[in-house]
Amino acid sequence: MKNRIKYNPTIGQNILIATLSIVIIVLLFTSALYYAVFSNRTESLIESQSREINKQIVLNYENYINSVIETANFIQFSSLGMDIATNYNKLQDIFTFNSSIKKDVVSIYLFDFYGNKILGDNLNNTYYKTILEEEWFIEAKNEMNISHFSAPHSNSLALQSNENVIFLSRTVDYIDRSRKRRGILLIELNFKALKDLADKTNLGEGGHILILNDKDQLIYLSNNSENVPFSKSFEIAVKNLLGGVKANIDSIQYFININTLIHTRWRIVTVNNVNDISLARKEMILMMFVIFVGSLTLTTVISVYIAKRITSPLNKLKDSMFRLESGDFNTKVEVKGQKEVVRLSKSFNSMIDEIRTLMDRVVEEQREKRSNELRALQNQINPHFLYNTLDSIVWLAENHRSQDVITTVIALARFFRISISSGATTIPVRDEISHIENYLTIQKIRYVDKFKYTIDIARDVYDIKVMKLILQPIVENAIYHGIGDDMELIDIKAYKDDNFLYFEIENTGYGITPERIEEIYKMLNGAQIKQSVGMRNVYQRIKLYYGEKADIKIQSELDEKTQIKIIIPLDIMEKK
Amino acid sequence: MRLFIATLLLTILMGCSQQKKTVSLLIYNNQDTFINEMTEYIKKEFNNEYELKIMDSQNFQITQNEFIESRIKAKDDLIIINPVDRLGAYSIIKKLKEKNIPVVFFNREPLAKDLNLWDKAFYVGTKGEQSATLQADLVENIFGSDPLHLNNYDRNRDNIIDLVILKGEQGHQDAEIRTSEVINSLKKRGYNLNILVTEVANWSRTEAMEKMDTIVEEFQDSIELIISNNDSMAIGAIISLRKAGFFKEDKLWVPIIGIDGLKETYSYIESGYLAGTVLNDSQAQAKAIVELTELILGKRTQDNLTYKLENDKYILVDYKIIQ
Repeated sequence: MKNRIKYNPTIGQNILIATLSIVIIVLLFTSALYYAVFSNRTESLIESQSREINKQIVLNYENYINSVIETANFIQFSSLGMDIATNYNKLQDIFTFNSSIKKDVVSIYLFDFYGNKILGDNLNNTYYKTILEEEWFIEAKNEMNISHFSAPHSNSLALQSNENVIFLSRTVDYIDRSRKRRGILLIELNFKALKDLADKTNLGEGGHILILNDKDQLIYLSNNSENVPFSKSFEIAVKNLLGGVKANIDSIQYFININTLIHTRWRIVTVNNVNDISLARKEMILMMFVIFVGSLTLTTVISVYIAKRITSPLNKLKDSMFRLESGDFNTKVEVKGQKEVVRLSKSFNSMIDEIRTLMDRVVEEQREKRSNELRALQNQINPHFLYNTLDSIVWLAENHRSQDVITTVIALARFFRISISSGATTIPVRDEISHIENYLTIQKIRYVDKFKYTIDIARDVYDIKVMKLILQPIVENAIYHGIGDDMELIDIKAYKDDNFLYFEIENTGYGITPERIEEIYKMLNGAQIKQSVGMRNVYQRIKLYYGEKADIKIQSELDEKTQIKIIIPLDIMEKK
Repeated sequence: MRLFIATLLLTILMGCSQQKKTVSLLIYNNQDTFINEMTEYIKKEFNNEYELKIMDSQNFQITQNEFIESRIKAKDDLIIINPVDRLGAYSIIKKLKEKNIPVVFFNREPLAKDLNLWDKAFYVGTKGEQSATLQADLVENIFGSDPLHLNNYDRNRDNIIDLVILKGEQGHQDAEIRTSEVINSLKKRGYNLNILVTEVANWSRTEAMEKMDTIVEEFQDSIELIISNNDSMAIGAIISLRKAGFFKEDKLWVPIIGIDGLKETYSYIESGYLAGTVLNDSQAQAKAIVELTELILGKRTQDNLTYKLENDKYILVDYKIIQ
C-alpha cells in the first residue's frame, strides 16, 4: 500500500488558501461575466455600426445609380417619341444640351442595331468600327429590358474627352420615318461623381469600397493607396457572395459588408476598419488583468498579515508548552493579541500554577507517607516491647509458671505474625482484634493482672478490612495511662453505622483535662510535642490513607475514664 | 437520474415532432396594396402548415439583403422573395445556392439567366404581356369591334381614340410591357390611336390624381379613354375626374381601365366609374406559390399542382377580365 502523507496545513496557510481561493473565484467569475457582456456588446456594436455606415454608402451609390437611370429615362421618354426624320435637329439639340448641362453626363448617343450612330456628338474615330463588338452594345442588345452599366474605363467615345467614364446602355425604341425601330441608347457618365461619393465616406484607416461585376471582376476600388488590403477583401467578397462578415486582414479587424447594387447585377463591398473597437476590448482585457493581479497581491498581503497576527501568539504559547513538556515548570506566558489567545494563555498559566502546587503536595505527601510507613514498621517490631515481653517470659520461667510461658510465647508469636502479616497494608477487623487480644494477653501477664479488659465486636464488622496496627498504639496508651492503684478496666468495641466504622477504646483512670485534650489534638495535627507519638502516628496514617473524614476523638471524665474513638469512613475503605 | 434522462428524451422527442419547417416571405413593400392582398392570400393558403415569417423590405434592397442574411442564419427551409430590385436576384440566388436554401420569387421576375443559375430557384408570376392584350380586349368591348366605325364613346366621332396613358414606374418591366403591348395590340387590331399624353405616376394613386388634375386642365373633355398600368392609378384618375366634374352628364363618362383587380375596384366597376380591369390574380398566384413550396419541401407531387410548372421553374398564372 502506498503511504499517503497527510499534510496538515498551518492556520496561516489555511487562511491564505481560503481567502485567495475566494478572491480568485469571485474575480474570475465577475471578470468572465463582465468580459462576456462587454465582448458581446462591442461585437454587436461593431456590427451594427458598420452595417449602418455600409447602408449609408450603399444608399448613396443607389441614389447615384437611380439618378443616372432617371437621366436615361428622361432622355428616352422626352425625345424618342418623336420621329427622327422630321425632328433631327431638335433631337440632336436635346442630346447635346443634356450632356452639357448635366455635370455627370459626358455625352449621349443613339445607335441603331447595326452600330450606326443615329444621334449624338461626333464620335472618336478610333472606336467607331468596333462598336458592334463592344460589350456594352452586345449586352444591351441581348438583355433588352434592363440598363447595362460598364466598368469605369478611359475609352470615351467622345471626340475630345480623356476622362474616365462609365457607360449606361439600353435597348430603346425610336421612330424613323414613321416606323418604329430598335436601337441602343448610350450615356457616358463621368466617373468623378462616383469617386466623389467614395471620398465622402469614412471607413477608417485602410477602409475601402469595392464593386464587383457579375463575373466577379473588380471593376471599382475607391482607394488604391498602399495600405489598402483590397486583394484580400476582394477574395473574401468573392467567397461570401452576400452579407456581413468580420475579417482579420494583416492583423487589423475589418467588417466587410457585401451588397447588391440596385439596377445592376453587381455587388458593392464596403470594408470598414473596426480595429479601434477591437483594440478597446484588448485594453479591457489588460485592465482586467491588472485589477486581477493587484487585488490578488493585496489579498495575499492582508491575509498573510492577519494570519501572522493570529499565529504569532499561538506560536509563543506553543513554545512555552514545549518548555513545559521538557520539564520547565517555571514558565510563564506573556501573550498580547487576540482576546481568545490571551485568555488561553491565562488559563495555561493558571494550569501551570495548579500543576506546580499539586506536584509540591504530592512530593510532600509522599515524604510523609514514607516516614509514617517507617514508623509503622518500627511499631511492628517495637524492640522495647519485645525486650519487656522476653523479660516477662524469663521471669515466668524462673517462677516455673510454665503454662503462662506457653500462653505468652504463643501470644507473642501470633502478635508478630499479624504485625508483619506478609507485608499487607490492610487486614480484616477480625485479625486486628486478634492482634490486640494477643497484645493484651502478653501485657496482662507482664502487668500481673493489674487490668481487665472486654472486647465487644459487632458481628457485621469482622470481615471489613482495615489498615493494620491502628489499635495497638491506642491500647498501649490506655494501659500505661490507666494502670494505677485500682484495677483498670479496658473496653474495646468495634461497630459500624451506614457511613463509618468505629473503634472505641475506653479505660478507667485519672482521665485527661480538657486543656490536655486540646494539646493532644494540636499534637495530632502536627504540633511538635514529644508525647503520644503512637497516637499521632495512627492519626496521620488514617488521615493519609482514608482522607479527611477519618478521625480520632478523645473524650474524658476526670478521675473516671478516657475514651478514644477511631472513625474510619466506610465508602473509602470499600473502594480500597 | 433515470427520471431526468427520460424527461429529457421526452422533451427532445416532443421538440422534434412539433418542429415545423420554416418558410419566410420577404415582400418588397407593404405600402403596395396588391402585394398586401397577396401576402394575406399566401398566409391563408399556408394555413399554419409552416412556420411563416413575413418581412417587409420597405422598398430597400439593402434591407431585403439583411433579411436574407438573417433568414440564412435562422436556417430557413425555403425563402419566398418579392424582390425590390430584380437584378439583385443574381447575387441572392448565388448565395442561397451556396447555402442550399430553395427560393421562390414572385411579382418581380429575375432575369432568366439568373434563375437558371440554380435548379432550386423558381418564379411565380403572370404572363406579363397578357395583361396588355386583355386591356386591348376591354377597349374593343367599350369602343366596339369595328375599328373604322367606333361607337358613341368616340365623342368627337373621328374614329380615332384620344387616350391618356398612366404609366407605372419608368423603366419598370411591367410598366414598359403593359404600355407598349396595349398600344401594339390595339394598333394591330386596326384601331387609330391618338395618345394625348403618357404620364408616369409610379403606380401611386395620389401621384396619378395630381398628374391627372393637370392633364384634365389641359385636355378637358377631349379625353376619350384612360388606360392605366394598374388599378391604384386608375382610381386616382377617377377621383381627379370627379373633382373636375366628369361623370355627371352622359357625355362625360370617360372610360377608365386598369390592371390588378384590387378588391376596392369592384365597387368602382359597379358604380360604373371604372370601365373594367384586368385581374392580376393574386389569389391564384398565392395558391401557386404555396403549392410550389409544398412541392419543393416534399409535401406535394408535381401531378397535384393546380397551375402548370413550366421548365421546372416557372408558374405563370393567367390574367382575367373584370368588367
